Amino acid sequence: MGVVAYAGMAYGLTAVISLAVIGLIVIMDKVMGKGNTEDEGGTDE
Amino acid sequence: MEMLIKLFPGIGSLFVQDPVIAGSRIVLIVLGFVLAYYGYKRTLEPLIMVPMGIGMICINASVLFLANGQTGTLFLDPLISDPNQLMNIMQVNFLQPIYNFTFSNSLVACMVFLGVGAMCEIGFIVANPWVSIIIAIFAEAGTFATLILGVWLGLAPNEAIAVASIGGADGPMVLFTSLMAAPDLFVPISVIAYLYLSLTYAGYPWIVKWMVPKKYRAMDIIADMPEVSKKSKFIFIVISCGVLCLLLPMGGPLIMSFFLGMAIKESGIVPYQELVENTVLYMATLLLGLLLGCLCEASTLLNGKVFIIVALGIFALAVSGVVGVIGGWVVYWFKGGKNFNPVVGIAGVSCVPSTAKIAQHAAEDENPFAVVLPVAMGANVAGVIVSAVACGVLISTIDMIMK
Repeated sequence: MGVVAYAGMAYGLTAVISLAVIGLIVIMDKVMGKGNTEDEGGTDE
Repeated sequence: MEMLIKLFPGIGSLFVQDPVIAGSRIVLIVLGFVLAYYGYKRTLEPLIMVPMGIGMICINASVLFLANGQTGTLFLDPLISDPNQLMNIMQVNFLQPIYNFTFSNSLVACMVFLGVGAMCEIGFIVANPWVSIIIAIFAEAGTFATLILGVWLGLAPNEAIAVASIGGADGPMVLFTSLMAAPDLFVPISVIAYLYLSLTYAGYPWIVKWMVPKKYRAMDIIADMPEVSKKSKFIFIVISCGVLCLLLPMGGPLIMSFFLGMAIKESGIVPYQELVENTVLYMATLLLGLLLGCLCEASTLLNGKVFIIVALGIFALAVSGVVGVIGGWVVYWFKGGKNFNPVVGIAGVSCVPSTAKIAQHAAEDENPFAVVLPVAMGANVAGVIVSAVACGVLISTIDMIMK
């Protein structure tokens, strides 16, 4: 594989994985309804 | 004369060694003084530069004659790999155990990342998830552009990957990637990366001023920070960590360290938080600075590829900064020129929190009431995640380009 193709592929893969992780966070945020319920693990101030 | 050489081996060895090595030692002693002084003056990052400068001075000054007639020091020898030799040298060189058990296996990089994670706030990303990640993806461009240029300049692909990691502007990541991809070059790459990273604070404001006209720099951002409970943030962190480790096992140690730091913060376990934010982070930074300085021995650094690494390092950081600001402009146009300041683009370069501060200062200089820091911090933290992903992708796929 040529270096330009490899760099393009690696950059694309980085972008896709990063967007997927953020997408996951957004979905979780929506699913959890931005709830403020707390358990004993942490406390909101 | 022979008596004097034996009496003062640090000076005497200068007359016995190869003139290039002897001259380089003197240059590195002076450079060590300059780095320590500018660290003291806060022009460069003092946490790294003071121990690094002093280490650099001492390693090049404390050269003595060893039993076999060769010259060496009582600090450390990074080139030893034979287990028997290593066991012997560990009983002589006082920094050798620290080097082998914390530095050459990337533990120190992971410890720094643990501390950085404990200082990061995932709420900034949750507030502006897409803007943060898009800017961070733009600001990672230096890594991949440098990879291409490095191969064109004659570096082996694995060496080019190691040097390219400087584009992520994340010290621990450079250390980790260079150790994984090109262990033979990790000393000059790490030293040059940390030197340049200290200089970003001086260089990036010029890129911002050059690329963003005054009237745009003065724009305020009215940021809506949504309420996100600690429980939600903790769950985001744990799931993101698991998913990234599943996708990129090669980057697992760094990913785990970063997200563990964030999880400790959100869990509210105060003793762990204090331990990680203070003791672990500062201890690791001190060892990192000291070891980097002690690795700057003339004979270790003198490598024909050092000049290429010097040029590529500055290219990587410059491209990341420039493309990051372009990312800021893209978001600005995408939002129709409303409620966004393109200077935030520089914060996509994951030098937490320096580049976010640069964005805030750039806006504040033109408009004392402009606040861009919350949005810039989102891009900054996203930058760390994208750098970790890029590091994992490059190390995981290195075989594809080595064939």
